[in-house]
Amino acid sequence: MTLKLGRQSFSDEATLMMAIVNRTPDSFYDKGATWAEDKAFDRVAQVVDEGAEIVDIGGIKAAPGVFIDAAEEKERVVSFVARVREKYPDLVISVDTWRAEVGRAVCEAGADVLNDAWGGADPELVDVAAAFDAAIICTHTGGVTPRTRPYRIEYDDVVASAIADTTAYAERALAAGVARESIVIDPAHDFGKNTFHSLELTRRLDEMVATGWPVLVSLSNKDFVGETLDLPVGERLTGTLAATAISALAGARIYRVHEVVETRQVVDMVNTIAGRRLPQRAIRGLQ
Amino acid sequence: MKLLIVPGVLALRPEYASIEDPVAELRKAVAEATDWLGDGRLVTANGSAMRTEKAPGHFDARAETFDAALGAALRAGDLAALRRLDTVLAEELWADVAALVAIAGELSEVTSVEVDYDDDPYGVQYWVVRWECS
Repeated sequence: MTLKLGRQSFSDEATLMMAIVNRTPDSFYDKGATWAEDKAFDRVAQVVDEGAEIVDIGGIKAAPGVFIDAAEEKERVVSFVARVREKYPDLVISVDTWRAEVGRAVCEAGADVLNDAWGGADPELVDVAAAFDAAIICTHTGGVTPRTRPYRIEYDDVVASAIADTTAYAERALAAGVARESIVIDPAHDFGKNTFHSLELTRRLDEMVATGWPVLVSLSNKDFVGETLDLPVGERLTGTLAATAISALAGARIYRVHEVVETRQVVDMVNTIAGRRLPQRAIRGLQ
Repeated sequence: MKLLIVPGVLALRPEYASIEDPVAELRKAVAEATDWLGDGRLVTANGSAMRTEKAPGHFDARAETFDAALGAALRAGDLAALRRLDTVLAEELWADVAALVAIAGELSEVTSVEVDYDDDPYGVQYWVVRWECS
């Protein structure tokens, strides 16, 4: 399905890199490397240079930690979104937030996408997306409260649960007035899930793709990769890329990543093997 | 009669398309010349495939001289030279000339020549040449 992410539209076969830009002092991977606003701005410049179509700006780390209220979250992201928008008028800007209040402020500042990593915890977020003709990412968390870790969560069928919840969320967004081509679903690896759940979602991602909603995957350096390979943060790139390859083969459209270049290469390679993309430039044996 | 000489480059075929066309200029020349050709005769031929170290057949020092002579014959419409072409050497240099030699035997005169393309981007010598002939 054609994707419309705010001011940009993308064709059916396009795969997109969504680069993570943290406005946090404590996110698990970069540990505050882009907490200083200029560092975050440098990160945007870097990922744009690397070919990312989307930046995903977040003001609150996903894991439990210091309580950040909406005012503080806005303080962290709104003016930054405006600054990025001014410098990059065509870049797709996503903001990782579950709060409608924050969503409204960032859309006013120029955001195109609301990435609701917490699965509709704030029911008014879809109304904000509709009001600003923004896109929305509908994730599956199994109904957990934002910023909590999964604890003894079980599913009869985690994939069925992910499909049911994300498509219900997508339909709710549609009913609220969000354009059909601006709604994306995300199984949300590690969110409300143990490693076995995230592995099964990866293995059966084609079932989510078969719903017809465009699928986003957020795999980058996550604990399910770390636990699978017994590797700490910082040593999970190869495992991340393996999961990326499987997701690409299944037909995922958007990849939320720390490493843009490596992910782009894997996604392009897999989609070319799958016959969905031409080689960049093939002449060997064809001269 | 119109006659068009083009190289039998597989990269021109749609099933071998890339995002960035590695033979864009050649394709353009072939397309334009094919439009001109109408229902004339199409001949596939090319020079050696051994012009550089990275050429499909690797480097052969004889390639340049061979291609220069063949190119001169095409530009001049020199049918006699084409009939005398050293086909053994052509085979050793991976030059595709069989159809060219055969057609030269059938024709009596080339009255006009237009060279649209003359290059060796991948170590293989290509020409796109239009002939008016009888």
